[in-house]
Amino acid sequence: MRFNEKELVSLSRQPSERAAELGMKGPKKGDVVKKRLVKLVVNFLFYFRIDEEEPIGALLLEQCRVERESGQVFSIAFLDETEKKYMFECDYEEQCGEWIDAIIKASYEFMRKNLIFYRTEIHRLTGQDPLEQYGISDETRFQVNSGLQLTSKETSSM
Amino acid sequence: MPEPGAEMKIHKKVFNHYLSCTSPVDKEGYLYKMKERTATYHRRWFVLKGNVLFYQERPADRHLLGVIVLEGCVVRRVEADGQLCFSLVFQAPGLRAYRFAAEERLTQESWVKVLLSASHCNLSLLVRDLGHQYEEAKREAASVASGSTVKGDSSQQPSVARARHHSLLTIEGAKCDVRDGRSYSTGHMLQEPSFSPKAANKKSPKHWSKRNAHVTPLNGPAPLYGEWPSVGLDPLEEFSKLHEYYGEEVLQVRGAWLRRRQVDKEQREAALIDI
Repeated sequence: MRFNEKELVSLSRQPSERAAELGMKGPKKGDVVKKRLVKLVVNFLFYFRIDEEEPIGALLLEQCRVERESGQVFSIAFLDETEKKYMFECDYEEQCGEWIDAIIKASYEFMRKNLIFYRTEIHRLTGQDPLEQYGISDETRFQVNSGLQLTSKETSSM
Repeated sequence: MPEPGAEMKIHKKVFNHYLSCTSPVDKEGYLYKMKERTATYHRRWFVLKGNVLFYQERPADRHLLGVIVLEGCVVRRVEADGQLCFSLVFQAPGLRAYRFAAEERLTQESWVKVLLSASHCNLSLLVRDLGHQYEEAKREAASVASGSTVKGDSSQQPSVARARHHSLLTIEGAKCDVRDGRSYSTGHMLQEPSFSPKAANKKSPKHWSKRNAHVTPLNGPAPLYGEWPSVGLDPLEEFSKLHEYYGEEVLQVRGAWLRRRQVDKEQREAALIDI
């Protein structure tokens, strides 16, 4: 599969939401914990060998589950193979919690849901569609029912 | 882990899964992609999801030919080779541009438009801005409800929103400092859409209010297709806010319903008397 590697490497050099040296272990049997510089940029988790300039890998943080495994350890699993987990060891519990939070909020899909929520609420409160000012109110990516199933709760009027 | 000097590991299974799962597709269709080396165009099926542009030979092909991550690039409409082209130009030094061609003007325009606002940076700024507007709208609603503000406040909103619009949208690259979203006005720019906002907005208020009835709250039931909800907000805090506001709406609607019932009742009684 081809990908724009140089552009991703360049992205990995951008100021990040969060970066730290963590112990990282891959999902395969026999993978061991290695100290890596882990860097969260947009919805990618880049990881570097300590003191190296270029990342050795990038994880796209979409369709994944982030969980606390123990006080200082969190894991990332991707939804097609939930038993295969990437493990990350932090230095202290609070740091672990902050990483989990940051990774969840970094996902594009999470942000999209937020946007749709705000859009709907602002319209409900003010009668105005806040996306009109940007000229993107008809874009399908921000439609209220985009990708989300309706339940009977929402369709009844009272 | 790869050897030093080897290609960065991209975990393509993750990309494959993102493509094949039921998360929203922002746009898909055939485009011609130019092969840099040979300067020839090849027809590919493109799927845009979030900030990732996937391409394959055909729709639903098992083999994913490639992905283009859309951060740090600008979209430029190009009239070249007698074709309806556009380019994704990555801004940092040493980076490349991707050239595409469409068969029709409408295809070209719609791809350019959707790619302009596809980046994570862009969405992040939008969400922050809307978050502020939401807080403002709530404050205003709360003070109106308590009867303490002047009605004229609502007229302020369009101009406040317009001012923010100008600070966010300027014609430059989409490079974005994600570290501190609050300082986004200094040198952090979105691309200005090249269509006039009026042309882009075709929906009448009538259509919009219908959609409003189907809103799914952020912490509502999980989507049914087995997707893990990645909600990180404090559910208790958000739920109490939602509860408050939906509660208010319920009270208002119920009040209106009761009044209508009363009016209907009186009309029925009046009708009987006439007979």
